[in-house]
Amino acid sequence: MTVLQNLPRRGPKGTEPSMVIGGARPRDEKTEELAAKIFSEFKSDFRYKEYVLGCINCGECTTGCPAARFYNFSPREMLQIAYQDDPLVLLDAMQEKIWACCQCYTCNMRCRFGNDIAGIISVMRELAVRNGLDSAKEVLKPYSRILLAVMTNGTQVSPDMIQPDFFADWGPFAVAKQTDIKTLRKAIPIDVLQVTDSSWEVSMQTSLELFQIYTESGVVDMLKSIDPDLVEMIEDIVDEWKDEFEEMKAKYGVGEA
Amino acid sequence: MASPKILIIGGGPAGLSAAQDITDAGGEAILVEQEGFLGGTPKRLHYSLLAPDLKPVEEVLDPLIDSVQQSGARCMTGAKVESVNSGRNGFTVTISGGGKKVEEKVDAVVVATGFAHWDPHKKYEYAYGVYPDVIDFKDFEKMLSDGNIVRPSNGQVPRRVAWLLCVGSRDRQVGKFYCCRLGCAVSIKQAMEVRRINPAIDTYVYYMDIRTYGFWEDKLYWKSMEEFGVKYIRGRIGSINRGEDGRLIAMAEDTILQRPSEVPLDMVVLATGMEASEGTRETAAMLGLELEEHGFVKPLESDSMPVSTAVPGVFVCGTATGPKAIPDSITEGSAAAIKALNYVRKRSIKVQARA
Repeated sequence: MTVLQNLPRRGPKGTEPSMVIGGARPRDEKTEELAAKIFSEFKSDFRYKEYVLGCINCGECTTGCPAARFYNFSPREMLQIAYQDDPLVLLDAMQEKIWACCQCYTCNMRCRFGNDIAGIISVMRELAVRNGLDSAKEVLKPYSRILLAVMTNGTQVSPDMIQPDFFADWGPFAVAKQTDIKTLRKAIPIDVLQVTDSSWEVSMQTSLELFQIYTESGVVDMLKSIDPDLVEMIEDIVDEWKDEFEEMKAKYGVGEA
Repeated sequence: MASPKILIIGGGPAGLSAAQDITDAGGEAILVEQEGFLGGTPKRLHYSLLAPDLKPVEEVLDPLIDSVQQSGARCMTGAKVESVNSGRNGFTVTISGGGKKVEEKVDAVVVATGFAHWDPHKKYEYAYGVYPDVIDFKDFEKMLSDGNIVRPSNGQVPRRVAWLLCVGSRDRQVGKFYCCRLGCAVSIKQAMEVRRINPAIDTYVYYMDIRTYGFWEDKLYWKSMEEFGVKYIRGRIGSINRGEDGRLIAMAEDTILQRPSEVPLDMVVLATGMEASEGTRETAAMLGLELEEHGFVKPLESDSMPVSTAVPGVFVCGTATGPKAIPDSITEGSAAAIKALNYVRKRSIKVQARA
């Protein structure tokens, strides 16, 4: 009975796939295992129930989607994949399509069913990173410099660094706006400290505390599966800082000088 | 036993039908209508033809109005029920109208206060009220009744008209979770009417599902394609923009081709949903009637007793209990009439037995 062979295997309760969209596909034990694992993690994520409610296929999410205009991507398709129960289709989407989303959340604003589509895409992305999918590695490769700065400093740009000269595509209008930017900033009605030049000089104590948070919350482990070299580099830097910090503490007493 | 005296609030199809059946059965009907004429929303908003047989509204409602007026029912137009007090022997009602107040004693009350079209201003993506060429059901019905299909922006005959279904229905964002039941049929009917008046106008219907129940399927949906050439696009318009030439640009996803699309259109008709009218809400509050979760009057048992309410002696019919077509409203009016008459008869038997 070929039909029975294509039925999905039973997984843990509440996460077992009940239906296969694509029908028969070439079977590859390793891929299926990975798909089943990701599928079960995905469906048991506490956000899943909150974000994915149902879909009446109106297509309003795709209508406003900037990514859908340029890529073979549609938020409606992503939500359908999230709603349906096919691990392999989910894995396929996570290998490529989810990375087209620019997380602008227009789909959420449009959705008449109240789904959090951009949210569920970000959950998929998170799982792709956690499971070290090739797609995640590929996508995050150009960002390792940024990741390094964010993981060590907590930030990678200061407002003053963003100068119109660096971004020709901003156009003349944006340049004109920049001339009076300091005054405009002062008009911001909330207290924003007005510090625009020092984000590269985060105090060492803050950096170390931040790294502690990254470690305890699992961000470092997550990154390890994607880019172990980068994590090694970051850890070296942080270790160096730790020694330096201890020295400073011994020299000047408690805390930072 | 004196003939039963029954107050009917609302002079639309349901209220008219109730009034007719009460007087036909020998009862005394007092029909209170807030507008200066009978016929309800179909008359007030100048509906054109009715689905599915493309019959003019006048042909359906005028005989009913005439027979009610000739039957001896007391029709008070331009009047309003100010208060209803229930006592041992029925209700004491105060009706104001024409600058004076009248007090009446009635045995039962039939609520037929109807619906209102949902206000599409609330769905800002469709720019209703911003772009003149975006209109809604009631605007287009008026236009069809006048037989003058032109773009409100420039007065020219449109080349392409599109209908967008489910505006203010099936939408969690605006708090309207239910289907309006009629949007599909009315849109298709309007498209057929347009094609009949001017076959040079192309008509498109943007839909999620076409819900043409029962006989409407072949009489409207199939026929509109076979005989009238109405085009259907599965997918909704998410927002409406305006191009440089002043034409509308409908941004939609064609969910069959699975790609986003931008289509220039001359007019977009929003298929606005139904909600409980202000009169329905006010009357329900005055009579102590419970509203169900969608804001309509809650019947005692929606399955088995759709025209009875939890308040003894008060009956409800038509679109006051939810979206309904005109024939259904007329049927429910008759049902409410017989229920009200039976209520009065049973009560008088009880009173006699007690005496």
